[in-house]
Amino acid sequence: MTTAATVSEVRRRFGRTQALDGATFEIGTGVTGLLGPNGAGKTTLLRILATVAAPDSGAVSVFGRDPSVAGQRVEIRRRLGYLPQDPGFQRGFSVFEFIDYVAILKEMTDRHQRHAEVRRVIEAVDLTSVSGKRVRALSGGMRRRVALAASLLGEPQFLVLDEPTAGLDPEQRLRFRELVSRAGEGRAVLLSTHQTEDVAALCQDVVVLDKGRVLFQGTPSDLSAVAAGRVWLADERVGSAELVWRTGEGRFRHLGTPPNRAELVEPTLEDGYLLLVGRFGEEAAA
Amino acid sequence: MSWHVSGQLVTSYATGELQGARAASVEAHVMTCAICRSAVNAEVAPERMHGIWSAVEDQVDAPRRRWNERVLTLFGMSESDARLVSVAPSLHASWLLSLAAVLAFAVWASNSRSGGTTLFLILAPIVPVLAVGGSYGRWIDPTFEVSVASPYPTMRLVLLRSTAVVAASGVLALVASLFVPSGGDVAAWLLPCLALLSITLVVSRWFTLPLAAAGVAAVYALPLLVALANHRDVAHLLLSASLQWAALVLAVGCIALLTHDPMLRSALRRNR
Repeated sequence: MTTAATVSEVRRRFGRTQALDGATFEIGTGVTGLLGPNGAGKTTLLRILATVAAPDSGAVSVFGRDPSVAGQRVEIRRRLGYLPQDPGFQRGFSVFEFIDYVAILKEMTDRHQRHAEVRRVIEAVDLTSVSGKRVRALSGGMRRRVALAASLLGEPQFLVLDEPTAGLDPEQRLRFRELVSRAGEGRAVLLSTHQTEDVAALCQDVVVLDKGRVLFQGTPSDLSAVAAGRVWLADERVGSAELVWRTGEGRFRHLGTPPNRAELVEPTLEDGYLLLVGRFGEEAAA
Repeated sequence: MSWHVSGQLVTSYATGELQGARAASVEAHVMTCAICRSAVNAEVAPERMHGIWSAVEDQVDAPRRRWNERVLTLFGMSESDARLVSVAPSLHASWLLSLAAVLAFAVWASNSRSGGTTLFLILAPIVPVLAVGGSYGRWIDPTFEVSVASPYPTMRLVLLRSTAVVAASGVLALVASLFVPSGGDVAAWLLPCLALLSITLVVSRWFTLPLAAAGVAAVYALPLLVALANHRDVAHLLLSASLQWAALVLAVGCIALLTHDPMLRSALRRNR
């Protein structure tokens, strides 16, 4: 795995809020998932990697380039695709016009080649049938796909996606997985999400962020293994568990320290994540 | 169908050699004859077909050019730059109408009360400044985040949009000044306007452009408006040679600072 980006001891504060507090990790080629609760600092981290924001301290490197140096920042941007958390759209633009506008920002000046590329990404996100429609007349999920198409322009080598599956229906999410999986072949994709199943299905690497710090970096199996021996099923609620919920089969799935003779089950990535960011996360991580 | 296009004619038509009435005749026949249509299909090279199809797609997909985009290309701006500039909110009709309304009010005031020219001299320079403030920024441009993360130089975008909105709002102010009854004095807003614009661009290196523009306009206009409300002789100050010289020196100083900005220079060097 080739290193695409490194984040070292990055700190960023907004007023009284310490959004990032010494975050350190590496992103390689392939798809990396960034998990964390609301307010963990995911969006701030993604904005820094997308060269939109600068850290207060610490070092960031993308393809060996330093985004704090103007010339190197432009080199990073030439190889970057970015989907912000709340992508905005120009008033009155159609799908084609909006993506064409972003293509101009990406230095695609030849009109013929640019339009061909715009058509390619529109087809990739399955929006060809609505390419002439105004973006603001589309549903939230479709608008998300428009923004995703814009981030795919020029086949970027580093794709930064902030909650790309928000608002997508199950079928669209499957298509999205196929798309991102293809984008991650030989290139680096960093996606922030709350959907642990997307991470389990797509990512070769997972980073868990909480309170601006990296709690975990490893493979999805490593994250599942955090919960090994701490997940069990029972016919009724057991008081010693930290988290309990009733499953579709009517049994109770427990997370925490199991009682004697508990019916231990195979942990999922979500179990590992919940234990990590739960109130006894530090104990689990140890 | 009793007749078919000859093989030689099919080849000439498929390669694009056949012109005028003969080409039109073959075309009309091919539209209704499946045998000749398949003969033409077999003769057309895949590259030519791809080229024709791409050209058709380009025509169908070509984004609609808005009125302000057409005006910008008339003044020599490239098609792609014109598209990036035309989305500036202060180049939209609603903004320009608002600015025109402010100027119309100032013109009306100058015609309806003695000393009203002063109000025009205070408001006219800040109209282009406010237009610049409405051309680029986080709360102004819905695609701000994406544009910042793109390789297109931010400074170039700011300058192109600023130039366009200053030209548009400046024309409005110049036209308005024709209706102000004060002889040559009314042109006294031009140098302060240039100074305020260049100060705004310098200050935008530290603050967002809308904030810089609003701040500069407020610092300039508010004290003058308060003084005017207190019946001070603001006109004397605005028309004084010392204020005009100060504005010129400030403008030249700020422009010198801007042209020594490495980011600005690299943005200007780009030849699109």
